[in-house]
Amino acid sequence: MVITFPPMGNVSLAARAFFEAVQIPYVSPQKANKQMLQAGAALSPDEICLPFKVFMGSFADSIKAGADTVLLTGSCGPCRFGEYCELQPKLLKKNGFNAEMLVIDAPKAIGRKELCRRIRSILETSPVSGASKFKAFRQALHILSLADGLNEKAREAAGYEKNRGESKRLLEACFKQLDSVRLPDDMQAILLRYHEKIDFIRKDINKKPIRIALIGEIYSMIEPFANLFIEDLLMEYGIVSKRLITPSWWIKDLAEKPFGVHSAQIMKAAKPHLPYNAGGHAKESLGFAQLCKNDGFDGAIQIYPLGCMPEIVAKAVLPSVQKEHGFPVLTLIIDEMTGEAGYLTRIEAFIDMLAEKRKREARTA
Amino acid sequence: MRRADLNDFSACIFEYFRRMQRSIEIMKSETTVGIPKGLLFSYYHIFAETLFDRLGFNVVISPDTNKDILEQGVKNCVDDACLPIKVFHGHVNWLKTRCDVILMPRFLSLEKGKKLCPMFCGLTEMVKNSITHLPSIIDTPVFSLRTKDMYIWSLKACGIFRQNRRDIDKAFSYALLRQKESSLGICDTGYPLRVALIGHAYIVHDAFVSMNVIRRLRAAGVGVVTAESVSENRISQESGRLFKPPFWYFAQAYFGAAVSLYRQGTVDGLIYLSSFSCGVDSVFAELIRLETEDLPFMVLKFDEHTGEAAVDTRIEAFADMLKRRVQYGHHFSAYGQRQPCGESVF
Repeated sequence: MVITFPPMGNVSLAARAFFEAVQIPYVSPQKANKQMLQAGAALSPDEICLPFKVFMGSFADSIKAGADTVLLTGSCGPCRFGEYCELQPKLLKKNGFNAEMLVIDAPKAIGRKELCRRIRSILETSPVSGASKFKAFRQALHILSLADGLNEKAREAAGYEKNRGESKRLLEACFKQLDSVRLPDDMQAILLRYHEKIDFIRKDINKKPIRIALIGEIYSMIEPFANLFIEDLLMEYGIVSKRLITPSWWIKDLAEKPFGVHSAQIMKAAKPHLPYNAGGHAKESLGFAQLCKNDGFDGAIQIYPLGCMPEIVAKAVLPSVQKEHGFPVLTLIIDEMTGEAGYLTRIEAFIDMLAEKRKREARTA
Repeated sequence: MRRADLNDFSACIFEYFRRMQRSIEIMKSETTVGIPKGLLFSYYHIFAETLFDRLGFNVVISPDTNKDILEQGVKNCVDDACLPIKVFHGHVNWLKTRCDVILMPRFLSLEKGKKLCPMFCGLTEMVKNSITHLPSIIDTPVFSLRTKDMYIWSLKACGIFRQNRRDIDKAFSYALLRQKESSLGICDTGYPLRVALIGHAYIVHDAFVSMNVIRRLRAAGVGVVTAESVSENRISQESGRLFKPPFWYFAQAYFGAAVSLYRQGTVDGLIYLSSFSCGVDSVFAELIRLETEDLPFMVLKFDEHTGEAAVDTRIEAFADMLKRRVQYGHHFSAYGQRQPCGESVF
C-alpha cells in the first residue's frame, strides 16, 4: 500500500513526518501549482470548487508516481467538501487512475467502529510498534504546531522588522530546508532553530503597521497556493496579517467539538450575526472578523473559492459586522481563471485605502 | 370577603379575559402574514397558508415570479448567490410593504442527518442584511418533517402572536391534512417520449425561473416525469448504492429518483435543471451522469442572464435527438468519424 494525500500547506508536512516515522510507503504530493490545478480542472465538473480541482490534479500526479491509496478526510456537511469522497474515486476511475480511496470521516456519518477499522487498515501495514506509532503521531502534531507557530510569528514580525523583508526571507529559507529533509527529528530541529531566529529579528516597536485579518474558507487559508500567496504579498508591504484558521487550530477545534466548547470566544462573537451553523467556517469567519474589529485591526480580507456556499452566506452577513465604526472588508474570489494582476491591483488599492483612512482619522482626532 | 364582592371579582376577571380575547381577534384580523413564493414554497405553502388562515390572520402571498421580482432580487442580494436565492430576495422585497410579518422558515434539516444547502441555514441573516425596512420575520427553525416536530414548529411559530393552544391544535391538524392531500409530482402519460426532469423544486416548479421548460417540452411532444412522482422506497433503495449516504436531503431524493427512473427504463432521456453555481448540483449532476451513462443527458443551467431562445434551441435539439434515437437506434457517429446510420442519406 502506497499512500498519498492532498497538498494542504503545513498538513502535508506533518503527514510526511508521520508516514516517514511509521515507515509506511507514501508519495508526497507536489506543492500545489498552476499546472496541477489545470490538470485537475480538466478531470473535474466545471462548477465544483477550487480545492476539488487541486486535489484531483494532485491525486492524478501522485497515482502516476506510484501511489495506490488516496487518503482524504470527510465531513457531514452541509458544505460540499463532504461529498468529495463520493465523486472523486468515480472520476479518477473513469479517467483511468486506479486507486483506492480511504476516507477518514466523522464518526457521526460512518460510525465509530468503521472509523477505527479504516484507521487500523492504514496503521497495520506499518512495521513499527504501537508505542512508536503514537510517538510519531505526537511528533507530527508537534511539527504541525511548530510550523503554524512559525508562520504566525513571521507574519506578525513583518510589520515591525527593521530590515525590510527579513522575516519573509527567514520563512522562505526555513520551508526550503524542510523540503530537503525527510526525518521528522530533522524537521523539528529546523523548525525550532528558525523559531529562535525569528524571535531575534531586530524590531522597531514604535512602528504602527497596518493590521489585516484574513478570513474565509479553510482550504484557501491553509494552502498558500489557494489564496495566491496573499500572506507573502502582505509581508512584502510590511503589513501584519493574522488568520484564525490554521491546521493546528482545526485539530484543536475538532478535539473540543464533542464537548461543545470549541472556539467559545469566536462563537460568542458570531452569534449575534449568524445564530445557526451554516456549514464550512462561515461562523468562524464572522466571529473572527468581529473579534479583530474589537481588537483594533484596520480591515479584513475574505478569501474563498468561487461558489463556496458557506462563505457566500458569510459575505452576505459581513455588512452587519462592518456597520457602526466602519470595518473595511475586501472579498477575493479565487478560481482557476483568477489573474494575478487583477488580484494584486485590488489588494494594493485596499491597502492604500486603509492607509488613507488611518491618516484621515488621525487628522480628525 | 362577602359573596357579592366575590361575584364582582369574578365578573371583573371574566370581563378582562373577554376584552383580551377581543383585542387578540382584532389584532389577528389586522395582522397580515406574508409568504414569499420562493425556494421551498411549493413544499410547504398549503400547510402554512391553511395554518395561518385557520388561525384568523390575513395571508398574502407574493405573485408568481416575474421580471420585476427577479430584478429587485438581483439588486437586493449578494452577487455570488444562486438564482433561486436572488428570486427569494425579490419576493421578500415585494412583500415587505404589503404585510406585517413575513414567514420564512429556516430549514436546517428535513430528517435526522439530512441537511439542506448552507444558504438555507443563513437565509434569514442574508435577507436581513440585504433588504432594508423589513417587517418582523418568523424564522422558526425546522429540524425535521415528522408530525411531532412540525407541531412543535407550529407552536413556536404561532407563539409570537400569543395564540390559544387549542386553536393552534385544530388549525395544525387541518393544515397537515390538506398538505398530505396535495402532491407535487408530475408524471405525464400519453406522449410518445418521456424525459425525467430532475432538479430542485424551486427551479422545476417555477415557470419563470425554468423558462417554462415543462410546457416547452410538452409542446415538442415530450412528456415529463419529475422526481417527486417516484416512491420513497425506490429512492432510498437506489441512493443506498452510493459510497456514503448523502447528507443533502434533496440531493439524495434526486439521485435516487433519476437512477430509479433510468433502471426502470420508463424514460427516454434525462434533463437536469440547475442554477449557476449551485453547490449541490455541481456534485450530483455529475454523479447522476456517471450512473446513467447510456441515457441521453442534458444539464440546463439558469441564471439571471439566461436567454429564452437558447433554452428553446437546446430543448428542440434534445427532443429531435430523442426522436431520432427511437427511429434509428444507437447509431451515432463518434466525434470526427462518419458512420452509416439506418438508411443513410450519403
